[in-house]
Amino acid sequence: MSAFAYALAVFILASAVATALFRDVLSTIIVFGAYSLGMAILYTFLLAPDVAMTEAAIGAGVTTLLLLLTIARTARPSTDRLFERVDVPAVVAVGALVVVLTAIVLPEMYELGSTTAPVWSNEDVTQHYIENTYEQTGIHNAVSAVLAAYRGFDTFGEAVVVFAAGISTLLALNREVFA
Amino acid sequence: MIPEAFALEEAFLVAAGLFVVLAIAMFYRAVVGPTTQDRLLAVNVLGTNTVVILALLAVALDQPWFLDVALIYALLNFLMSVAISKFTVERGGVL
Repeated sequence: MSAFAYALAVFILASAVATALFRDVLSTIIVFGAYSLGMAILYTFLLAPDVAMTEAAIGAGVTTLLLLLTIARTARPSTDRLFERVDVPAVVAVGALVVVLTAIVLPEMYELGSTTAPVWSNEDVTQHYIENTYEQTGIHNAVSAVLAAYRGFDTFGEAVVVFAAGISTLLALNREVFA
Repeated sequence: MIPEAFALEEAFLVAAGLFVVLAIAMFYRAVVGPTTQDRLLAVNVLGTNTVVILALLAVALDQPWFLDVALIYALLNFLMSVAISKFTVERGGVL
């Protein structure tokens, strides 16, 4: 990993900690937007720009609006303290647990971007898709082929559910905000 | 001798790293505040910073389609600022 990744990790960690510690909910929402920006850069750096695009649309756009609508409809307690009180023993205990688990799991993982890492899950099924996807569907990306071709009806159902959820959210907001 | 293109891409990656360091400096303002407007402005600058970093990454990693992500961020960056500004000016109004 380069110095760029380390600087990015510092930024993401700092924004995550700030999001957890702020007492004022409006400040939390703003800092959470900064966290989302850092995550989008990280996804792009790890060569997953599609995930970064989703993070841009959901994290920076929709989540902020939904959280703002929520505190507009509910109470926003005013406080004179800037940060939440930290329960030190609990932080130490949970932190130690995370460090121990990471130290156990991390050496077992394959190197980032390794081309020799075996495909996990069921090898027969995965290998079948990797070998036959292009002949059967004509799509270069195997993941897109599974989403749009092999389980196309499932994806269609998901799209219907998301569409219905969007419509009902619009209806609910219409009644509550503009009335 | 180092190939010229390789050195140039390294330089762009270093520039992106420096912008991340600037982002950390900007984040200090977002945490310290003291007012909501300070925080909002800091995060807004952070958003612009992100667009620049994404564009630099597109050059450094030689993946021109990363610019799409940068474009989406450039489009969405103002959304949060407008929403929070409206929220603070007229209490309760967001959209």
